[in-house]
Order: sequence, then structure tokens, then C-alpha cells
Amino acid sequence: MTLNSPLFFLFLFIVVFINYFISKSLRATLLVAASFLFIGYYNIESLITLVVFSLLNFFLAKKVIANRSLYVLALFLNISAILLFNYFSKITNGLGVSISGFQFSFTHFFIALGLSFYSLQNIAYITEVRFKRIQSESSLINYLLYCSFFPKVISGPVMLPNEFLPRISSVTITKSDLIIGFKRLLLGLFKKIVIADRLVAAVSSVFDFNSDYAGITTITAAYLFTIQMYFDFSGYTDMAMGAAKMLGFELKENFDTPLRSSSVTEFWRRWHISLIAWFTKYIYYPLVYRLRDYKKYAALAGIAVTFILSGLWHRIGFTFICWALCHVFYLSFELLTKRSRLNLSEKFNNIFYKSFTVFLVFNAVCFSNIFFRAESVEKAIHLIKNSCTHFIPADWLSGYIAPLAVGGHQVDEFNFFTSIFIALFVLLFEKKINRLALKENYSILYVVLIMLLIMVFGIFNSGTRFIYMQF
Amino acid sequence: MLEKLQQVFRKVFEDDNLIITQSTSASHIKMWDSLTHLQLIAEIEAEFKVKFTFDQVMMFNSVADILKLI
Repeated sequence: MTLNSPLFFLFLFIVVFINYFISKSLRATLLVAASFLFIGYYNIESLITLVVFSLLNFFLAKKVIANRSLYVLALFLNISAILLFNYFSKITNGLGVSISGFQFSFTHFFIALGLSFYSLQNIAYITEVRFKRIQSESSLINYLLYCSFFPKVISGPVMLPNEFLPRISSVTITKSDLIIGFKRLLLGLFKKIVIADRLVAAVSSVFDFNSDYAGITTITAAYLFTIQMYFDFSGYTDMAMGAAKMLGFELKENFDTPLRSSSVTEFWRRWHISLIAWFTKYIYYPLVYRLRDYKKYAALAGIAVTFILSGLWHRIGFTFICWALCHVFYLSFELLTKRSRLNLSEKFNNIFYKSFTVFLVFNAVCFSNIFFRAESVEKAIHLIKNSCTHFIPADWLSGYIAPLAVGGHQVDEFNFFTSIFIALFVLLFEKKINRLALKENYSILYVVLIMLLIMVFGIFNSGTRFIYMQF
Repeated sequence: MLEKLQQVFRKVFEDDNLIITQSTSASHIKMWDSLTHLQLIAEIEAEFKVKFTFDQVMMFNSVADILKLI
């Protein structure tokens, strides 16, 4: 049951309805039960893994202040969970065993739904308790909800314990929450099935099939993948935030128009914000604090370690190491040239300079994302080489348009250009569209319009997986 | 003390004309971000012969926060 499947909508509306009318004191229990149903429907192994890790962390946290060894054990268990998730998610055929008629798969215990996301939350919780920044949670139900809350369990946002746990007991739901939450849910669905899913074919054509297209075709596919991933993941986040809002919870924003960033440093303040906030707080700052006497070198080491770990968190493999190294290079360069770049931006304080830097950053991000998307480093290097040689195709229609507008008929070309137009339009007016989704004004008009657009331009294939579900 | 702290800020943020006041915070100085924050802290510790704990360092967001602890 992905967030864009019809079954999820039915499930969500039943839970929202009951949650709205139920007594305040029973809401946490209801939401834990609903979350367990949501995860258990995916597979029973995921539910068992989640419950086991939640219980382990909940009880270990009560002892970690006095016992450093237990803190290390808790860290070891959570980090092992992430590493095993990444290792086993590469293996498709797990070892199966039948117990009392139920079909279990060993690997499914490790590639459990959301494991790498809630393990980060568990590490944050156990660390905050260990260093006495928060008290250990007294309610098991509240802690189970922190780990399993179904709108965020699949792919975040990664909530820190102080951002979620204290709010559980004070949840109130107004009609305004229901309206704004629903509007945001629809916006996320629109981003996913009208923009991201429409770009899948063009991206896949270059990345998964023929990789010998002209340079401009390859570069366009790399641009489109970054746009696809942005709308896929930010669409998921909008849906998660909308669903949470309808249930009375505010989740942390994960995106802030990142494709308008004029430096890679700024990009990482605006893209997957909750994950980077976690890595900054629990990896970068503690490491650089210890090394701070080495000044700039400490920051450079911090950037390298943080991004390589972030790459490995996504997937253990050379493609993600290369992706991480690209960002280590970008951020190190920006740190070392920060003053001169600031002077330049003050000297050329105009729209052209700003547009140039945004374009440069977009290209840098798209370049790194070739490694993110390609199945192997060899394939990524082949695509990069390709984009530098025979840049312009001999025949524009067969060398440029046809490979991206997969199908080769006029109707496919029309569909391709429609997809590009919708994506660029939304990117251009993104802030206005987001603002409209977060206000109660024009709600009926907004809902009707978005639903019409979804029905006319949406790709309906009963819930394509979101890209970040694999992590 | 503010004068001495200003010299540290000027050195770390490579700006000889930088003026700081009690109310100056990270949002006022473009160079002051997560990548330069601990470099600033290391220079302050060396200049004022103090040592800050990790939690103190994480709380610093303005000149006033720093002045309270040196």
C-alpha cells in the first residue's frame, strides 16, 4: 500500500474519520494500531522488525544514562540494522521458510519497510537521552507511535524526538487542519502522478536501455531525472505532511524549493532537510567539535565523513560513494572559496549573476545524480563520456526527441512536451502553488482544479513506488 | 571584550570591516553557517583561553550567547 494507491486513500479517510471523533486520550493508541495495520499489510516481517527495534530502544533508553556499554550496544544494533538493510536490499531472492503455514522470508526482516528511516530516529532518541537533553519517554504507546506513525514511516521526514514526542499528548484537530491537510495531500499526489511519473519513461530510456544517445539527449535525461526525483520525493513528503496534518500532527518540512539554490551548500539546506539535519547534528558537529583545533581542515574532514556516510546510508555501493564524493568536492570547494564568492555576488548583484549560479548548481547536482541513478559506475562514466562526445545529433527528431518521447508516435511527442511544460510551469510558480495549498482560501476551486489536472494528465498504474521507498 | 571578539570574527570571516554588536547573530553574517561555526569557536577558545562543551557550542547563535560564556 503506497501513499499514491487507492487503497491508501480509503485507509487514510477511515483513520482520519475515527481519529477526529474519538476521545483525545485514545488517539495515540488508534494511530499505533492503524500504523501497525499499514506496515503489516506491506509484510508481517516489517511489522515484527519495527516492534522489536522500538521495544529494544525504548527499554535500553531507560538504562543508557548510567550505563555507557548499553548506549554503545543500542548504537551498534541500530547501525547494524541500517547496514543489513542496505546489504539485503540488494538481494532479491531471500531464503524462505514456512512456519505454521505463514510464509516468512529472512531477508524481509532486514529490508523491512522504513527500517533505515526509523533507525535514524532511534539513534537520535537514544543519544538525546544518554546526554540528558531529553528524558526517556514514559509511555510505550507514544514511543511506538514515534517510530511507526504511518505517514512518515516509509521515507520520513526524519523527526527528532523533541520534535514529535512532546506533541503527541496535545494533539488537537480543527476543520482547518482537515482542509489544509487534504489540499497538501492532493498537491503531493499531483506532483507524483502528473509530474514525476510522466518523466519516468524519458529518464529510463537513457539510463536503463540504450546509453549511446547523443550528448544533448543524455544531458536532458540527467536534468529530467533530477526533476523527476525532486517531484517524486517532495510529492511523497507533501502527501505525508498532508496525511499527518489531517491526523493532527505537524511534520518537519523536507524541501524548500531546492532547485533554486545558488550554491550547493544552500542546496543542502533546502533538499531532504530532515535527513541533512540529522547528519549535521549527529555526525558532522560531534566530529568537527572533536577536531576543531585543526580549524578549516576539521570542517573539510567533517564534510567528507558526513557525505560518505550519507551515501552509504542510501545504499552500500560504489555509485553512491561517487555521488557522495561529488558533493564532498562541491562543498569543500565552496568552503574554501566562500569569501571570494560572496564578494563576487555583492559585486554582480543582479538577476543574471543569480540565474547563472542557480544554473551552475543545478548542473552540478544533475551531474552527481547520474551516479545516483545509474546501475553501475561504469554505466555512469559511459553516460558522462557520451554527453561530452557527439553532442549534437545528426537528426534532431530521431536523435533527440524520439529517445525521450518513448514510443516514436506524434502522440508520444505531444505527451513528452506536455510533461516538460507541466514540470517547468510548476517549478516556475512553485512558491505560489505551495502557498495556495497551505491556506484555506479558494479551497473548493483548488481541489476541483487539482483533481481535474490529476484525472486529465495523471499516470494511473495503481501506485508506482516512490523512489525513496528503496532506502 | 567585544572589541577582542570582533577581531576574531574578522579573522574567521575574512572581513576587515565587519562590525559586531551584542545582537549580531548567524543570520546577520553570510559567512557564519554550519561549515564555519566550529572554526569560529576554535578561534574564540584559543584567543580567550576557554573551552566550551559540545552542548554550549550547539546553543551559540549570536554574539550575546558567546559573550555570556567567555
